[in-house]
This record gives sequence, structure tokens and C-alpha cells, in this order.
Amino acid sequence: MAVPLSAYIVVSAVLFTTGLIGVLIRRNFIIVLMSVEIMLNAANINLVAFSHYLESMAGQIIALFIIAIAAGEAAVGLAIIIVVFRGKISTNVDEMNLLKW
Amino acid sequence: MTFSLNVTGSDLILMLPEIILTLWLCGILIVDFAMPKLPKEQLAYLSVCGLAIVLANLVWFDLEGVSGALFANMFVLDRMALFFKILIVGATMLVLLASRDYVQRFRFFKGEYYFLVLMSALGMMLMASPNDLLSMFITLEFSTFGFYVLVAYLREDAASNEAGLKFFILGVFAAGLLTYGISLVYGETGKIVFSEIAATAWTPGLTIGFLLIFASLGFKIGAVPFHSWIPDTYHGAPTPITAFLSIAPKAATFAILVRLFFVSLAALKPAWVLLLVGVSILSMTYGNIVAIAQKNIKRLLAYSGIAQIGNVLIGLAAGTKMGEDAILFYLLTYVFANVGAFAVVIAVSNLIRSDEIEDYSGLNRRSPFLAFAMLVFLLSLAGVPPLAGFIGKLYIFLAAIKEELYTLIMVGLVNIVISMYYYLIIVKKMYINEPIDRSPLTVSPSMQAVIYVGLAGTLVLGIYPKPFIEWAVAATLMFSNFAPAAAVAPVVLPFGG
Repeated sequence: MAVPLSAYIVVSAVLFTTGLIGVLIRRNFIIVLMSVEIMLNAANINLVAFSHYLESMAGQIIALFIIAIAAGEAAVGLAIIIVVFRGKISTNVDEMNLLKW
Repeated sequence: MTFSLNVTGSDLILMLPEIILTLWLCGILIVDFAMPKLPKEQLAYLSVCGLAIVLANLVWFDLEGVSGALFANMFVLDRMALFFKILIVGATMLVLLASRDYVQRFRFFKGEYYFLVLMSALGMMLMASPNDLLSMFITLEFSTFGFYVLVAYLREDAASNEAGLKFFILGVFAAGLLTYGISLVYGETGKIVFSEIAATAWTPGLTIGFLLIFASLGFKIGAVPFHSWIPDTYHGAPTPITAFLSIAPKAATFAILVRLFFVSLAALKPAWVLLLVGVSILSMTYGNIVAIAQKNIKRLLAYSGIAQIGNVLIGLAAGTKMGEDAILFYLLTYVFANVGAFAVVIAVSNLIRSDEIEDYSGLNRRSPFLAFAMLVFLLSLAGVPPLAGFIGKLYIFLAAIKEELYTLIMVGLVNIVISMYYYLIIVKKMYINEPIDRSPLTVSPSMQAVIYVGLAGTLVLGIYPKPFIEWAVAATLMFSNFAPAAAVAPVVLPFGG
């Protein structure tokens, strides 16, 4: 039994919303970073599903690039988090209050 | 499901500037490791030399009229792309010269700094050329990666780390919105090339997709309501990086925005004009009003930058070829005035280690040159004749008047008055207030060079703008008969290939 396209889109939309809410309400940088990864992967599911149903290759290629770039983002992001953590011993968003007007 | 890619050597000539820069920046990294005794300032000059070669190459392409498309239409080189590339390379050269003294503050990784700046410049050069959603996404992320590291470069400074983290979180959040937007647009149309998307029928999914893409690009240019990272990041980042961040990525993102709106969304102009008018009014008003309350010069320039982006969006909202010429010219004037203003801030901060506006009191007594340069740059940002900013604002407003966007123009004019107020407060502090410390300040030669280039650009563009306006007009010729199905420029190579 073939899975209909709408099922993929629903899963992807739910994942995207989860990531979006996670970025907006969670207070820990690591979890914020994970939420962003969820958002990127929601897009990947969409792209691969569309690519299959539209019979065009472009979607899968975009998904590959998104995976690569997400890996790069995680590397750079964790490096920055480590630098901050050394100075503050905290990864909480609310303690980032040095810069404000 | 097949995917073929044919690239010949003569096609790759279109990417020659990028290829030269790639090789050059690898060379910089090798020289940095292989010759540890070499003073790091030399790397700054070496990087500037490389960019000068790239700039010469770009100018040659522009004069020869080289244009074409590469990699199955992913990468286009037309005169608009060349305009933006020249702008970005020029701004990078000024920023590198201005960072020479500042880099002494870093304890580690002085050499890698130049590598990362060049890497970001390469990413932004590519950002001037994308012609489909995939290359748009890759180039956007490519240019931002370098900036994530550069903003957090002052490792011992908690403010710089915090700025880097905030910039990173909002940057990747924008990337998440962008990818989801791309996936929706691809799903609705089955196409990713900008000009092919235009041909498909309109659906709600496509609207959401494009709104997400616009939101993510809005983050990059820092338009209200996507501006929240701008003040903190600008405040905490090393000042040369703030200068770089305030110009180059924004200019490059406008290259993408123009292509997206004029090629893919041409048929929907009435809808996006309303969107852009709203964003433009919010950016100008918010940026200018909040700027009044600032005590730190970098934060003030950050908010003024938000307001300036509002001004540029007026040109985009006009949605005509003239509006687009005005955007290009305005960005040109903005590069000189803004890099110049930041150069003065860097020079002052190198000498007195402070960015507070209070410490600019009596700057005229301590260094008349710096005070005068700051005066010129601030007046140009405010749009006072006969400086470059005046012509830029005039051009943008004329384009909007032709489209009868009178509300937008009224708000824009009121905002010029507000901005004049906070720019002149700095001028008053520099010229009328008494200095706390009277010791004279001497400016280093490389900072002087940057400030002189900024002054020259601001004055020449203001007094004799004709050739530059003609350059901007020629750069957007492909939009001259702006119609729903704007095609990509044909491949014309003068190299017999």
C-alpha cells in the first residue's frame, strides 16, 4: 500500500511546528539548536516526498545539501556554545543579558 | 529521473573571479601556517592584493560585457551580479585595511581572521549570482558561516561571545524557515529555477513558501520585524566585522531579493508592494526612533542601519526598473558612508578603547581629521546635499513618486528629520562639548587610507553622480521591459569558446 503524499506533508508540518515552538519557548541553547535541526529535517522530508511524487531529481539534491549544511551549522554552533560555556558555566538563554539597550 | 551536468572550460571562465579568490584564500591559509614568523599585518596586505586582482578581473568582465549562465542555470553572471560583486569586493578591501590595527587585540588566530573574512567575501560574491532556490540557499549559508565565527572572534570578551551566540541562533532559525519555504515552493511548482517558478499558477502553499523565504531574507538584511539580532550582534562583534556585517551581506541579499521579486514574483506585484511598503515603514520608523536613545556608537549605527534598510526597501517597493537602479546606487553610497563611519569608530576605539558616544566629546580638539570625517559620513547617512547620501535618497524617493507611493514617501521624509536629530547630537558632542581628556590622537596610515577612500567616495558620488548612476542603470538593463516572464540573459562570451 502506497503512502499518500498528504501523509508526508502532515508529518513534515508537525515536525516543523515542533521545531518552531522549540526555538521560541525553550531556554537552553542545546535544545534550541536541536529544534532548528528538526526544522531543517522537516524540510528534508517534504523535499524528498515531493521529489518522489513529482518525479524530479532536484528535491533530493536540495535535501542532500541541507543535510550537509545542517552538519556544518551544528559544528559551528557547538563550538560557539563551548566558548560561551567556558566563560559563563551556563547554556541558558536568559543569562545572556550583557548586551541590551 | 535524470540529472546531467555539462561544464566546459570556457564556461568556467564565468566563475574566474571566484576561482581566483578561492585559490588566493587557500594561499593565505598556507602562508599563515608555513611562515609563522611573518608579521600578521603582511597577511592583511596580501589579502588586499588578492582582492585587488579579483576586482580588476570583475571590472574587466563588466567592461567587456561578459554574461552567461552556468551549472544548469544555477549560477548567472550578468551586469547586475557584476555590480554587486564589485561592491562586495570593494567593501571587503576597505574592511580588511580597517582591521589591520584592530587584529592586534586578538590573542590567537590572527592569521585565520583574514582567511575567514575572505571566505565570507567569497560566499557573498556567489550570493550575487544565484538563479535558483538551491544555489540561493547554499550561498546564503556559505557567507553566513564565516560570520558566525567572526562575530564571536574576541574569545576573552563575553560580549563578543554572546553576540556570536545570538547571531548564530537567529541565523540558523532563519535557515530553518528558508529551507521549509523552499520545500513548499518546490512542492507546489516542481521547479527551483526562479524564472520557471514564475510560470506556474498561484496556490496558498506557494504564498506560505514565499513568505517564509522572505522572512529569512528579512533576517539577513535586518528589516523590522526580523531585526532583533542586529543591535546585540553589532554591539558585541569586533568593530571591523560590524562594519562588514552592516554592508556586504545586506547588499548581497538585495541581489537575491531583486531577482526573486522581479523574476519569480513579477506577476504578483500588487501583493508584494503592500508587504514591502509595510516592512519599509516599520524599519524606518523603528530604527530611527530607537536610535535616539542609544549611548553606544555601534548600537546607534546598528539602529541607523535598520532605518537605512527601510530606505532601500522603498526602492524595492516601487517595483520598477528605476526603483532597482535607485537600490543599486543607494547601496553604493551607503558602502562609502557606512564603512567610513565605522572606520572612524575603529580608529577612535583603537586609540581610546571605548565606543561610548560620551567619549566622542570634543573629538575635534583631539583629532580634527577624525571629527571632520565623522561629520561628513553622518551627514551623508542623514542625506544632506551635496553628499552621496542625498543623491541616493533623492533617487529612491523619485522612483517611489513615479509609482505614487505617497504614504511611504511622507513617512520617509519624516524619518529623515528624526535621523538628522541623532546624527547631529554626535556632531554637537564632537564639535561643541569640551573633551574630558585633551591628549591629541594620531591616526595610523591604514586607517587614514580607509577614511580618505570613504571621504572621496562620499564627495564624488554626491557632486558628480552621473557615471555611477549610468553604471547602475546599465546593470539592470535586463529588467528594462519588466514583464512577468523576464528571461535570463543569453550566453555571450567574447573568448571564442
